[in-house]
Amino acid sequence: MANRVVVTGYGAVTPLGLNVKDTWRNLIAGVSGVGYISLFDTTDFKVKIAAEVKDFDPAVHLDPTTARRNDRFAQLALVAGMQAIDAAGLKVDDANKYDIGVLIGSGVGGLDSLAQQLDILKTRGPSRVSPFLVPMMIADSASSQVSIKMGIRGPNFGLISACATGTDVLGVAYRLIKWGEIKAVVVGGADAAVTPVGLAGFAQAGALSRNSEPQKASRPFDMERDGFVVGEGAAVLVLESLDYAKSRGANIIAEIIGYGATSDAFHITQPLENGEAAAKAIELALAGVEPDEVGYINAHGTSTPLNDASETKAIKKAFGDKAYEIPISSVKSMLGHMMGAAGAIEAIVCCKVINEGVIPPTVNLEHPDPECDLDYVPNVARKADVRIAISNSFGFGGHNSVVAIGRYDGQ
Amino acid sequence: MNVFEEVKKALCKANPGLDESKVVPSALLKDDLDIDSLDLVEIAMSLEDVFNLTLPEDEMENITTVGDIVSVIEARLKVKSG
Repeated sequence: MANRVVVTGYGAVTPLGLNVKDTWRNLIAGVSGVGYISLFDTTDFKVKIAAEVKDFDPAVHLDPTTARRNDRFAQLALVAGMQAIDAAGLKVDDANKYDIGVLIGSGVGGLDSLAQQLDILKTRGPSRVSPFLVPMMIADSASSQVSIKMGIRGPNFGLISACATGTDVLGVAYRLIKWGEIKAVVVGGADAAVTPVGLAGFAQAGALSRNSEPQKASRPFDMERDGFVVGEGAAVLVLESLDYAKSRGANIIAEIIGYGATSDAFHITQPLENGEAAAKAIELALAGVEPDEVGYINAHGTSTPLNDASETKAIKKAFGDKAYEIPISSVKSMLGHMMGAAGAIEAIVCCKVINEGVIPPTVNLEHPDPECDLDYVPNVARKADVRIAISNSFGFGGHNSVVAIGRYDGQ
Repeated sequence: MNVFEEVKKALCKANPGLDESKVVPSALLKDDLDIDSLDLVEIAMSLEDVFNLTLPEDEMENITTVGDIVSVIEARLKVKSG
């Protein structure tokens, strides 16, 4: 017997706000979170822009020891995780602590902590490397720290699938709950790759926009797009079985109704051009749902020449002519690419779209590209009655992950 | 340099929320001051820099109180100068 799976809370720390409310308000207003990098000196760097989380002081949100002993990515995850659990009204106690799990993924984990300690290793030798390096850099530290802080004793893991991480965590949590393995999961993603080696690496791979106007750089589906903008942040949701949510009188925000995942089996950074594996992931996510019923597609929409074209093909393959009638938007146009957190914040956006009846725009869409000729809700938010939304996440390595989210019908 | 004062400084740096008045020679690192084994490695590293000496790992293993840290350092300083 399959359980139904619902969302009962969420939290986020993003380049557009230190919580979901501010982030959403800015998304609807078409505000860009991209600017010149302030976290390090970019003098020698070709790319000087990113979507940074602004004014994040760990001391404000976390006790001094926790703040000190965690890389920025885990700090962000902890804050988002606490917001989500609080919003869900989920009280962890002796009765339920083994029935709840944590599944928080990350693309690069504690990259900056590793980079700093590598410097120390080189300049001062192994006996000066911090004893906290390993617990700070391992990519599961965000998940573990949430478990430790909240006393959650069910399974906890990190999950890694590059830019698809934030959707894959939802899919795995959905399946665990659906098949009765666990009652509730605190699930999400976090990354803080706006660091010297992170920026250098992505720039050298040719993935980043060289646009000198920061707020114009992320322009998904636009003819003049030239790469993505590195973002950072964390987004966490609480998923639980419908029965468990009802039994504790939880407020139900939306329902996870499907998940599909495939691989391109093609190239470590380039997507499969014809989008056929991605189309299959969409179809798997929509098993049991008529394509007609989809009212919004939250695109992966990174603003790279390749992704946006292949994603458009994938959507057309999955929906046929109907593709032209479904509003699609990419919030990466404003948030940049939050890496492991992207899929998670985008799922939260889908929940908001369904409940508030407004679709955030794809900003900077000024020059139509004949290869990208669908309705991407250009520049201005749009009112819409959306019952079912899907969120696409495609990652380096050929990951194609799609989650389908539906309005909770009160039953 | 007052060894106890430097040790106290290093302990407070490792545990920023620490109530300084609790840092007395008889204080137990783990139970009284919430300082774990990872903190202790970091504290040892910073004291090695302050006093310009090496603290052997096997001696650090037996440390349980603030006073133990002071004793180990004082002994090493004697060896250095003697």
